[in-house]
Amino acid sequence: MADVLTEIVQPDDLKKFEKIYHEQLYKNDVTPKAQFEYAWCLVRSKYPTDIQKGIILLEELYKTHEEGQRDYLYFLAIGNARLKQYTKALNYVRSFLVIEPGNQQVITLQQTIKKRMEKEGLVGMAMAGGVVLAVGAIVGVGMAIASKVKS
Amino acid sequence: MDEDILTTLKILIIGESGVGKSSLLLRFTEDNFDPEQTLTIGVDFKTKKLNIDGNTVKLAIWDTAGQERFRTLTPSYYRDAQGAILVFDVSSYATFSKLSTWLNELETYSTKSNIVKMIVGNKIDVDNREVSREEAMKFARRYQTLYIEASAKTRDGVQTAFEELVHKIIQTPGLWESYASDNIHIGDREHLPRSSCASYCGLV
Repeated sequence: MADVLTEIVQPDDLKKFEKIYHEQLYKNDVTPKAQFEYAWCLVRSKYPTDIQKGIILLEELYKTHEEGQRDYLYFLAIGNARLKQYTKALNYVRSFLVIEPGNQQVITLQQTIKKRMEKEGLVGMAMAGGVVLAVGAIVGVGMAIASKVKS
Repeated sequence: MDEDILTTLKILIIGESGVGKSSLLLRFTEDNFDPEQTLTIGVDFKTKKLNIDGNTVKLAIWDTAGQERFRTLTPSYYRDAQGAILVFDVSSYATFSKLSTWLNELETYSTKSNIVKMIVGNKIDVDNREVSREEAMKFARRYQTLYIEASAKTRDGVQTAFEELVHKIIQTPGLWESYASDNIHIGDREHLPRSSCASYCGLV
């Protein structure tokens, strides 16, 4: 089941907001609204290059458009988490929580990201565990041979 | 607990900013209330298991931001939803007046034509009520939606609202699919008790 880190933008939406953004870009008059809407679509793309592009647009907005800063921080966390840049994502979450410590939505996002890290971390550990088991087996065989030789 | 889940249902919560959409969801999923509930950014998502008529269903609930600046993109989350909760604040007539706009938006963007709609009049705990129960029920009847009054603050009606909505979805043929489709035929749901509540119903 899709959640905020896995749901994917409709290609039609991405195209629609890309077009609006590019039209404004051509006229050299990009509104924060158009840039934000395009970025919101990009960070929900299945392609990492799109997400990366979305992050750049959001970082720019964060610096230039004070009014929407909490929104930009939130989506910067989402975008980075989707790229598996968890440390960076959690840094954005933390900056957000400094300003709004009780924000349920962001606290939930923090938990979702941590769960993901744990899950992916466990996969790594399981693989390492497998290697340990294999090494153990070899040592075991070696010891069995050694004990046979002794007897 | 390890129980069999009959199906997963996608539920939407929509309505004007500040009517209590996130508060209703927080009360339902965590039995909690935050008097300083902050404004939702874009959309939020929560899941919850619910037992209806002896079946466990999983709800995937998308809570949309009511603020104007998110309006252009929130409808993209309407896709494939089986149920929609339209919330207004009984102490604000303006939020009630906007319901028809929200219903139109649902009509335009939802992909399931038989999506089950429920109107929830929230904040019945407040003193300065501006929308009467009768007027809201009349409206719900006209648009053939369910209607329930609730207070996320006092928890009145919250659980009932979600249960009624899910009950109606389960009763609607073709709206959902069972995971256990190997041995249960979709549409063959005689074993489920029929509700006495039809297209609209009021709370006691």
